[in-house]
Amino acid sequence: MSQGRPHLDALPSGASRTGQDAWFFCLRILGGRYAFEAGLVTEVVRLGPLTRLPAAPSFLPGVFTHRGEVLPVLDIGQMVGQGAVAIRASTRAAVVHCGPWKVAVISDGLEGLVVIPHRNLEAPPAESSGMAEFLSGVARDKNGTIAVLDLPRLVEAARSRAVPYGSTSA
Amino acid sequence: MNEPVSELLMFQVGARVFASTVRDVVRIGNVADVPAAGLVEGTSLGPTFARERGIVVAAPEGGAESTLVVDQVLGVRVVPASEIQPLPAFASAVIRSGAVSSFVLFDEAPTLIVDLPTLVRERLAAAVTSPLPA
Repeated sequence: MSQGRPHLDALPSGASRTGQDAWFFCLRILGGRYAFEAGLVTEVVRLGPLTRLPAAPSFLPGVFTHRGEVLPVLDIGQMVGQGAVAIRASTRAAVVHCGPWKVAVISDGLEGLVVIPHRNLEAPPAESSGMAEFLSGVARDKNGTIAVLDLPRLVEAARSRAVPYGSTSA
Repeated sequence: MNEPVSELLMFQVGARVFASTVRDVVRIGNVADVPAAGLVEGTSLGPTFARERGIVVAAPEGGAESTLVVDQVLGVRVVPASEIQPLPAFASAVIRSGAVSSFVLFDEAPTLIVDLPTLVRERLAAAVTSPLPA
């Protein structure tokens, strides 16, 4: 394997790849550009009125109805302790499937699909706090730096970190 | 053929409307008629504004009744049982209460269905460690 390729091993196993390129879905969260494997995204929807849930963690600001289906909203900024994504009438969400979980990821803005040559993917910084904990790589395109998230791992961490019903620490 | 239906009691806490199955409700009363020790408030449904109405819930296993303080009781709606849906799996997995596990859509908006006995039980258990201020 060449010097430039080992970084690909850090990508999620299901990352969308075609030949020399990897496809990601890119969004902006709290001033940063983040991406995750494009194959996780089923659609982009406009966020409807939120129904807040009792005893919900901060990263779950509520649920909303889309074509008769009620979807939970995931605020990645809150999940990693970097602050809440502002929810406005114009806010859109990327509906993603991560294993058994279907969530609508909100952001400050959606860029959509980006194609990144494998050679432009690098290993994430060696940090283990905040968003860095869930990075699987870093890339650059003409618009700047993109931090590649391991979204399935982040969603699973959100689930496992939530204090379950019945815990005495709630 | 008759489709099974569910009777839902609609009530308001703060600005939000919730539902519960009628079979969980013993009666509706006025908060002023209930001794303070029998009132349940400060639940995960949020703060009340008017504190006017109380939904009396039977205690499990023969204990004393509890009165959940709400702002308004809006009435009963009958819906086909098939329209009651579970919360999305992710939401169910992360919320810190077992009192809300389903909803029904009214005008395309989800109205949460509250398991009143569980809500009261959770609040009473929490009160042991974090009682409401006097």
